[in-house]
Amino acid sequence: MPSNYGFRLIFVGVTILVMAGAGLFLKGFLIPDSFGRYGSYRADTIPEEASLPIKHATNSSCFSCHSYEAKIHKAGRHSTISCEFCHSTYADHIRDNKKFAALPVKKEGDITVLCLRCHNTEIKARSQEVIKTVAMPAHLADQNVKLTHNCNQCHHVHAPLKYIDRARKITGIMEKTL
Amino acid sequence: MKPIDPHKSSSEPVHLPDQAEQLNQMGNKMDRRTFIQKVMNGTIAGSLLLVFPLTAGTFVPEEEIPGVRDEPYDIFDQQFAFVVDITRCIGCGACCVADKREYNVPDGNYRTWVERYVKDLDDNIHVDSPNGGLDGYQTPRKDLDNRTRDTFFVPKLCNMCKEAPCVQVCPVGATFKTPDGFVLVDSTRCVGCAYCIQACPYSVRFINPRTRVVEKCTWCYHRVRKGLLPACVEVCPTGARKFGSLKDETSEVYKILRGEGVLTVLRREMGTWPGLYYKGARMEVI
Repeated sequence: MPSNYGFRLIFVGVTILVMAGAGLFLKGFLIPDSFGRYGSYRADTIPEEASLPIKHATNSSCFSCHSYEAKIHKAGRHSTISCEFCHSTYADHIRDNKKFAALPVKKEGDITVLCLRCHNTEIKARSQEVIKTVAMPAHLADQNVKLTHNCNQCHHVHAPLKYIDRARKITGIMEKTL
Repeated sequence: MKPIDPHKSSSEPVHLPDQAEQLNQMGNKMDRRTFIQKVMNGTIAGSLLLVFPLTAGTFVPEEEIPGVRDEPYDIFDQQFAFVVDITRCIGCGACCVADKREYNVPDGNYRTWVERYVKDLDDNIHVDSPNGGLDGYQTPRKDLDNRTRDTFFVPKLCNMCKEAPCVQVCPVGATFKTPDGFVLVDSTRCVGCAYCIQACPYSVRFINPRTRVVEKCTWCYHRVRKGLLPACVEVCPTGARKFGSLKDETSEVYKILRGEGVLTVLRREMGTWPGLYYKGARMEVI
């Protein structure tokens, strides 16, 4: 009969080997390949994260097609503003180098709300060195225009002083406006 | 992962066996060993020169962080810094809008946000951040009885700590620090236990209700590796947010970090060694 001492020793040995083999197999199966290349994490996450598609491009990306807007925008005081903040992202507009959807253009009262995100004097944290601010109904009254006017009726949204400088040149009036 | 020069092996003197010398004389340029070496080097170097696709298309915006597109990108030899100049922040919320668009962040969660600090005449500090600053700050605070002495804005985002508490507590190795200094989250391994949310002293982490895993600001790692600035830096109209490589001595952040001026980090006493610096921040900012 095989139930002698030697057989039991072999049986225990084989069992340990089988269990160890199964353990190693499972370990290799459960731990991702790149785990531990740089540390206790899956190193493949880094290229995965790096290859995510971008949504915001740069202003020069927009200007590569919109040359008319580019000329005005670059010359004006708003040259540091990103196109994509007001008009939404490049990825919402261009796919496979082709336009597939139009971007929103702000109209009427929305423009005033947008302007006052930055240019509102009431928010005291805005240093005059960084940005020119206005107090809203007061500014309209100072300029002798209707209180229902929107900002873009005097200011070009891409270059705020474009019309104003031109008007000053024509009329010769160099008084304080803004 | 050391960068491998594909030309190195061919310039080294290789001992050729007699048969190979004969073959060389017959016009073959290399023996089998050199050939295989060259092919293997080429394959490995090719995989290192991985070019990440930019947008869905072939248009490539110009590089904004010099040196990142140099290939191969040496992941062990990079150092980036983020500087927030709070004396220039006007609280327009453009960064918050850009961040939400870039990552499609669910409502009520914020990868970055802007806080408004109001100091009254009794030197009490009142902090608020309606909707994380997404709608901008259109009106002053009206719920304060005392008159205001001072108002300023503080943008908040991931601090990319050198000793990151979130990395230490993650039980599954889903949060880690990359060799180039970014703290990232592996969404395939994260189990959503939220230990890291409790550990983060800056409260930048949240559980995404759609994916049920932890998410946080990555300083736009996918943009940086393509040589572009993070989305919030891209849209900041006043230059309050600055990002750049410290390996590039001409970069603005290098000049700020090595120059004069008031520069601080948040919660220095916690010993997290943030890579995010605040320029002109006052002692009230936490």
